Amino acid sequence: MTKRLSPRSFTAPSVALILVLTVVWMTFPEEIPFWRSLAIVTAWGGSGLLAANLVLMVREPHIARQLGGLESMYRWHHRSGMIAYLLLLCHPLALALNGWVEAPQLAWQTLVPWAQSWPLWLGWAALVLLMFGLAATFAVRLPYRRWRAFHFALGLGVVLALAHVYALLGGADTLVLLIVVTGVALGWRLIASDLGMASHPYRVTQVVRQTGGMIEALLSPCAAAITVAPGQFVLVAFGDGKTYRGCGEYHPFTVSGIEADGGLRIGIKALGACSQRLQSLEPEVLVRLQGPFGTFLSGSLSGSPFAQQLWIAGGVGITPFMAALRAHACIWPTTLIYLFRKEADAAFLDELTALATTDPQFELLTDASDKELPDFPELLGKIGQITAREVYICGPIPMVEALLPLLREMGVAEESIHFERFDFR
Amino acid sequence: MRKLFIISTVIFWLAVAGFWLADLYMTTIPVTDVSPVVEPAAKGYLLAEVAGHAKQDDCWMAIEGSVYDFTTYLPDHPSAPELILPWCGKEATQAWQTKNKGRAHSSRANQLLEKYRIGTLR
Repeated sequence: MTKRLSPRSFTAPSVALILVLTVVWMTFPEEIPFWRSLAIVTAWGGSGLLAANLVLMVREPHIARQLGGLESMYRWHHRSGMIAYLLLLCHPLALALNGWVEAPQLAWQTLVPWAQSWPLWLGWAALVLLMFGLAATFAVRLPYRRWRAFHFALGLGVVLALAHVYALLGGADTLVLLIVVTGVALGWRLIASDLGMASHPYRVTQVVRQTGGMIEALLSPCAAAITVAPGQFVLVAFGDGKTYRGCGEYHPFTVSGIEADGGLRIGIKALGACSQRLQSLEPEVLVRLQGPFGTFLSGSLSGSPFAQQLWIAGGVGITPFMAALRAHACIWPTTLIYLFRKEADAAFLDELTALATTDPQFELLTDASDKELPDFPELLGKIGQITAREVYICGPIPMVEALLPLLREMGVAEESIHFERFDFR
Repeated sequence: MRKLFIISTVIFWLAVAGFWLADLYMTTIPVTDVSPVVEPAAKGYLLAEVAGHAKQDDCWMAIEGSVYDFTTYLPDHPSAPELILPWCGKEATQAWQTKNKGRAHSSRANQLLEKYRIGTLR
């Protein structure tokens, strides 16, 4: 994620806003009681946001570029989903209050499912599924595979919500619009992305063990290669090999090297069940690859305006910088601070040390810290002209969060700080 | 965002529980007035008279032997206007019993119906 706001940063929220405003405008109630009007507006507003939420979940490189990047899309996917949920919680409560105006008992009669017919049961089922799906979404300790399965409940919740509206209203124009948008977005995501119809076939041609808990795999294209720039990431699903059994699900990996023949190197650290299994990856395994995504380092490589670089990498966060350093010699004077727990855990360290001796523009600083976080003030104090530098950070969230206030305190301009972290849950 | 989810969900269920308690413990009909209510004799209408009220701003329907004036209710009806408007001025029992997807109206709708009754069908 880069901090600099480009016009495209506003594209993803604009898509959500336009869709929800269109839907509310098309269905805005007139001359009916306040609470009932509120119920109608929250229902359509929530439904419009759910449809926008699904559009922002589509994982397609061209669309992601138009919408300000996959990270921005996912951020607004989360926000639109949450706002939709809040609006949809208000919908039954506003209906109940509409009944309350007449008689308190009528409020309960409006809500209670056993006094209703199946179209309203659909509404309740949709709301409960959204509730359950969101609860699972926020359960950060849930293993990824189970988390992902529960997350699908949200998609089913959206379908039931639209079925609820259809059962009540029939094929109203606004509903048809929402069904089409939802159907295309869900279908695209499931068929093109999750089932891999739009993925690129690659195969593993080399596996290099970097450290005890990290390998680097070389993926070579089986058909046309995709064009990737240093700093970008791809989504990769590994299949089976002679002895290796892939987990088959897509995970994001930052490219650590780009070969002349279109081959891509990716660093895989054992962080979860799937990446742990990947440590025994073997050549000839077929992979499905989607991407590329992301714009991290794009400013540092395009070369305008002139700026010295400060790159800060923590652990596996070294990979985008490796791709840039392997692609060509540094364009600008560049200092890389590489942070790791202990030297045995530091992937690419020998290669980086060799690069620092051959490239006069490149300086390498390393820090092995067994503590939770290294002494950042001391480390950054070693950097000359820090306010004149473009700073790129890639690493664990606690590291990024510790560095940001410190850099601002040291006078680094907000627009000169760029950071990347994977948070695709 | 996690906190917002938890807080909003808790508030929602507390509100639902509040409506349930209100249903249990609150009374709305004043019990002081115990004088017997004498229901006026229901007025009878011919279907031809009902047919004269077939517009959005003047909508009567005949359902299961009774005549209803739904003019003020139409804006509140959950379905799209094009589903209910064609039944204005008509014998709408079948539409009432099957709606547009072959299902009956809810018990709450039954309660609401009485509010709009203006007489019987002759």
